[in-house]
Amino acid sequence: MENIWIKIGYALLTIFIVLNYGLLLQGLFRKIGARVGRRHGIRIWQPWVDIIKNYTFRSRIYHGVMYYLGPVFRLTGGIGLLLFLPVIYGSEMFSNFSFTGDLMLVLYFQFFGVLGMALGAGESGHPYSAIGVSRGLSQVTAFELPLTLGVLAIGLQYHTLNINEIVAAQQGSILNWTFFTNPFAAAAMLLSFLGAMGRSPFDVVLAPQEIPIGPPTEFNSSLLGVLQLNRAIFPVAKLILFMNLLFGGATNWGELIIKTFFIYFWSVFVGIAFPRFRVDQSVRWFLSIPLILGVIAIILIKF
Amino acid sequence: MVTPVYLVVSLLGIAFALGILGKPLRKVAGVITLATMAFASYISVSWFMGLWFGEQSAAMVFTAGFRPPFSINLLMGFEEAFFLSLVNLAGLFGTLFLYRTLMKSGVNAFVILLILIMGLNVIIMTRDLFNLFVFMEISSIATAGIIILNPHQKTISAGFKYMLATGIVAGILLLGIIFFYHFTGTLNLDDTIRVNIEAWKGITVALFFILIAVIVELKPFPANGWGLDVYESVPGGIGMLISTASASAMLYVVYKLLPIAPPVFFQILTTIGIGTFFFSNLLALKQTHPNRLLGYSSVGQIGLITGVIGLSHFLGNQFGLIAASLLISHYLAKAGLFWISGILNKTHIREWSVIRQNRLLLFLFSLFVFLLLGFPPFPAFYGKWELIMQLAGSGQFFWLGAILVASLLEGVYLFRWLGYAMKLEAPAGEPLRVGWNQYIPLGIFGLATFVTGYYATHLSSYGSLINLIPLAFALGFFLIDFLPVYIKNTLAIAGMGFYFYYLYPDLNGFDMVFSAIFLVGGILTLLAGYAYKGKRIGFYPTALMMFAGLIGLVEAKTTLEFFFAWEVMTAGSYFLIIRGKKSMEHALSYMLFSLGGAYLILAGFSLASIGQSTIVLDILATAPLYAPLIFILLAIGFMTKTASIGLHIWLPGAHAEAETDVSPMVSSILLKAGVFGLIILIIRMGEQHLGSLSILYILSWIGAITAVLGNLMAAFQEDAKRLLAYSSIGVLGYILFGLALFSHLGWLAAIAIAVTHFLFKALLFLAIGGVVWRLKTKEMYRMGGLITRMPFTFISVLIGIIVLAGIPPLSGFAGKWIFTNAVIEKEWFFQGALISFAGIIAFLYCFRLIHTIFLGQLKDEHRKVNEAPFWILAPQYIILIIVMVFSVLPNSLLHPIGEMLKPYFPDGALTWQGQYATSIFGYWNGTWVMYVVVAIFLLVFLWLWFMNRKAYRVKQFNIVFAAERPFRPETTHFAYNFFAPYKKAIGFLAEPGVTRFWGHVSEGSHAIAELIRRIYSGNGQVYLFQIMAFIVVVYLISFGGF
Repeated sequence: MENIWIKIGYALLTIFIVLNYGLLLQGLFRKIGARVGRRHGIRIWQPWVDIIKNYTFRSRIYHGVMYYLGPVFRLTGGIGLLLFLPVIYGSEMFSNFSFTGDLMLVLYFQFFGVLGMALGAGESGHPYSAIGVSRGLSQVTAFELPLTLGVLAIGLQYHTLNINEIVAAQQGSILNWTFFTNPFAAAAMLLSFLGAMGRSPFDVVLAPQEIPIGPPTEFNSSLLGVLQLNRAIFPVAKLILFMNLLFGGATNWGELIIKTFFIYFWSVFVGIAFPRFRVDQSVRWFLSIPLILGVIAIILIKF
Repeated sequence: MVTPVYLVVSLLGIAFALGILGKPLRKVAGVITLATMAFASYISVSWFMGLWFGEQSAAMVFTAGFRPPFSINLLMGFEEAFFLSLVNLAGLFGTLFLYRTLMKSGVNAFVILLILIMGLNVIIMTRDLFNLFVFMEISSIATAGIIILNPHQKTISAGFKYMLATGIVAGILLLGIIFFYHFTGTLNLDDTIRVNIEAWKGITVALFFILIAVIVELKPFPANGWGLDVYESVPGGIGMLISTASASAMLYVVYKLLPIAPPVFFQILTTIGIGTFFFSNLLALKQTHPNRLLGYSSVGQIGLITGVIGLSHFLGNQFGLIAASLLISHYLAKAGLFWISGILNKTHIREWSVIRQNRLLLFLFSLFVFLLLGFPPFPAFYGKWELIMQLAGSGQFFWLGAILVASLLEGVYLFRWLGYAMKLEAPAGEPLRVGWNQYIPLGIFGLATFVTGYYATHLSSYGSLINLIPLAFALGFFLIDFLPVYIKNTLAIAGMGFYFYYLYPDLNGFDMVFSAIFLVGGILTLLAGYAYKGKRIGFYPTALMMFAGLIGLVEAKTTLEFFFAWEVMTAGSYFLIIRGKKSMEHALSYMLFSLGGAYLILAGFSLASIGQSTIVLDILATAPLYAPLIFILLAIGFMTKTASIGLHIWLPGAHAEAETDVSPMVSSILLKAGVFGLIILIIRMGEQHLGSLSILYILSWIGAITAVLGNLMAAFQEDAKRLLAYSSIGVLGYILFGLALFSHLGWLAAIAIAVTHFLFKALLFLAIGGVVWRLKTKEMYRMGGLITRMPFTFISVLIGIIVLAGIPPLSGFAGKWIFTNAVIEKEWFFQGALISFAGIIAFLYCFRLIHTIFLGQLKDEHRKVNEAPFWILAPQYIILIIVMVFSVLPNSLLHPIGEMLKPYFPDGALTWQGQYATSIFGYWNGTWVMYVVVAIFLLVFLWLWFMNRKAYRVKQFNIVFAAERPFRPETTHFAYNFFAPYKKAIGFLAEPGVTRFWGHVSEGSHAIAELIRRIYSGNGQVYLFQIMAFIVVVYLISFGGF
């Protein structure tokens, strides 16, 4: 029993570190984005300010039970995803609750928050929320297909779906990373990753111009605060997942931060360089090049 | 025993007496006629019984006391007694039915009838060829007489054409007889049989003339326009006499002449008979006049029996059972249908909807249709079964195929007609009047269907094994249909509960899983029935029939029992489906796919039985020949039920338009019958190959494509129940894929999904059914915001979609997890990726379902809608409890299934430590996932609750809109065409290509029918030409002219 309390303690520590790292990344990349666009940009600690501001608003409204629970689902999804992952390779404590399930659990658990949030947004009755969800789900289905092919290729390559074992198999040399040993799978997955991160060219879900910020349109005050917490944690959890699958995992926090920074940077780089797709365009795009790469990955690994 | 000569004496004597003493006897002529016919029936039936039970031996009567050739001899043997009974009973009840009409027409009408029946009696008994000719002439004239009994232009013209046709036939027959006498010097059949007549040179031509004349009397295609015109023009009561009495007698003549027929004659009979069966049914597709339609059907059925006679060499000792059961079915069904047609007196089958004024007639109508099509427990079921088995056994595959295709065509028009009668708006008109004299014959023939069915069950070689009790229990509900719903519902639940209790000790493995789905699932869905008020006439017998069939599948040990149960289930579910308001065409397409599937299954079983001494299901494993073909036939047959892509088009309409509690029954339970069939098939036949290609590999692709397309189509539906229906197609695709994997994990996933699909689909269909029950619409965009009005239903749907989507921590995830492991193990990645893709597409429709109904904007007209009725919610919450148990304790479901699979797939099982499952690739602990998720959820929730404690709830339109304030829910609820961009991107995949394909098949066959039936021009000369041409062509083909 004592063991479990220690685990919970480390889990909270993980969440704390990841939350702050996530907020830092947010601030940093908004700054970078602004500088690329020749603007001054926000202060780097602005994300913290925003969260605190949201929790202290005096005017707080809600639209119904599901609306209230939407952000709870969302954040549960984010934290759960993080805790089901082995964060630091070789560290029992920072493996958190990854003993409860393997790669498949992690991949499917992502949708727990997404669907819960979508339901909450739905109850607000705001059409923009529903439009955002419709776009988001459409896009998700499309990038999941190449992602699945990539994951299957990795599963076949290492003969396991255990994330720890996948990381273990990549130890020893940079050349052991899946990124190098299985480049087509990695390519398919990294392109899907762009969709998963929801940055340009795949940010039509939040589309600030036509459906201001999409699904979360109606959320305010603490509810929005909870969503913002998730927006810091969830991407980092995804980064850790991709790091584990493709880039050999991390044996300490420093390595983790360096690797995830560059993985995040990949999506930011593409986002800054490319304009936005419409939904039907992005759906078709994911079902073209990334899909073909995924198919090639499978064919190469199988034959 | 009364000597058979009294048959002739009484019928002829009374006919003469009535003729002579006509006027004074006018008032009692009817009674006298009936009494005479009853006497004749008594004689023939008592001979039949005596001969059957062996108390009597065949008797030969010599007229005038001389021996042939100086007199005529009449034979009363077993076959004669059987046919005489048919003819005389038809005469008796036919006269009774026509009683009032005949009384109006006067004494002569009775005379004609008596003469007709007398003529047929002699035709059957006589052993003298010339005598046969004479009495055929007498019957023809009498028939022409009854045709024009009700003289108007149509009957007179039909009667004239009839006389022309039979006249030419008589001429040919006479020619034949003359030649025959010339060559043999005798006209006595028994004499000729004793000697080798083939020794006579030139006899062939004589025989050909005799035999072809008799065949033409049977109205073979295409020389049968005259016969069809007769059927069309006469009233139903008279059509009945021609179709049953005359046709039976003529059939017997063919049979009687067989001993003198040359061997080639059997091939001629087969070709003409089955050809007629096929083409009559094809041409009937375009037919709309009820009597003419029945005429086509009669001609077809007689053709089938003729064909069976032609194939008699191949049927061994089963010939008698096959021919008799087919004939009896035709006889009872056609009599009943013609009679009903006589009562309704309509000229278009669409007008038959008036039959709904009288439930008994509707019941009888459906009874006769099912009888005619060879559904169990009626005699033709066994007849067709044995026929197909024997044909397969003797390698007659061409005829086997032709008979099955033609039977399917027959199903098309009969079920279309039945659908019209049950569903179309009834035309205005006078109320139906049915006299007692019409009820009696209909009632007796209706009862006779069951009695003969019972005997046929016991006569067929394996039929006595069949457990008829569940079916009898179901049919018993017809008798108590007057009781209110809650009594019948309680009885039904008690019956099913008891049956499960009774079966339980003997159940294990797959049987256990599927009996639980069928029976426990059935009870759960029946609970919703308490929400109905009134009597719900017809629901319980048919619902229980479906369940009887389903459980029969599980209990079946032999292929016959399996097929029996399959057909019972199909029949029951057809009636359940057609209960929906707009279900007419959907029920038809369901029935046709089911029939087609059933015939494939029948063909598969028949091929499997070749060269085997038993018919237990295990013969599938040991089939020495054609194993891949058997596998394909059976798999396609079962896939019509699982609605795999290409065979799925019946499902959405059938499930969506069904009643609230019928949708979960047919969707969550009935579809599993197909899964069960596939399991039985694959477990016994294993992996089959076409060349080097594994059939299971093909199935895996079909499963994966079905899953993707089913889910994709679900995402584009506006109708909530249709969405769920398409989703079933998708999930059944996963199951098919899992079974095709043919490994421990694949099967574990397939069966686990089969169980969870039952749970969540029953849950969702009941919940959505409850919504539709209250809102009276199924269009989702007309709904919205119902979470506040129907919170309990919302929770059901929420849990239902989470399970469906396979999102952890609920039990649906188990399926996904096992699938991935199974896919990596089997290395079928592309199909596996498609399955996973399908799983993600499921999110689209899941979200759409819950969002557009329960979230978004509440419509003004729904502000006062109530929660769904208690009895619709109750089963949902029972299911919710089961779902939660399976979610928290996944091994309670998966471990037993795994154990069950070990004997078949010892390798690759999951290892369980408590709730911790490990495969060779990964691991999963459902309980801990649940703990972690619940803990985080609660913490976050409490945090939010604490931070947000002062929040207040705002009204519906208090939302952030730039510079305007929405006020209409209709324009604010984003629901219609919800995934428009997605449709734009890959909507082309969901184009109804398959529907179009089957539409073309249907249109094509109708167009061919339309084209061919133009040969029936209605012109007597053309008909005569056709008869002559037919005779010449048959001669040339059979005797080597070509």
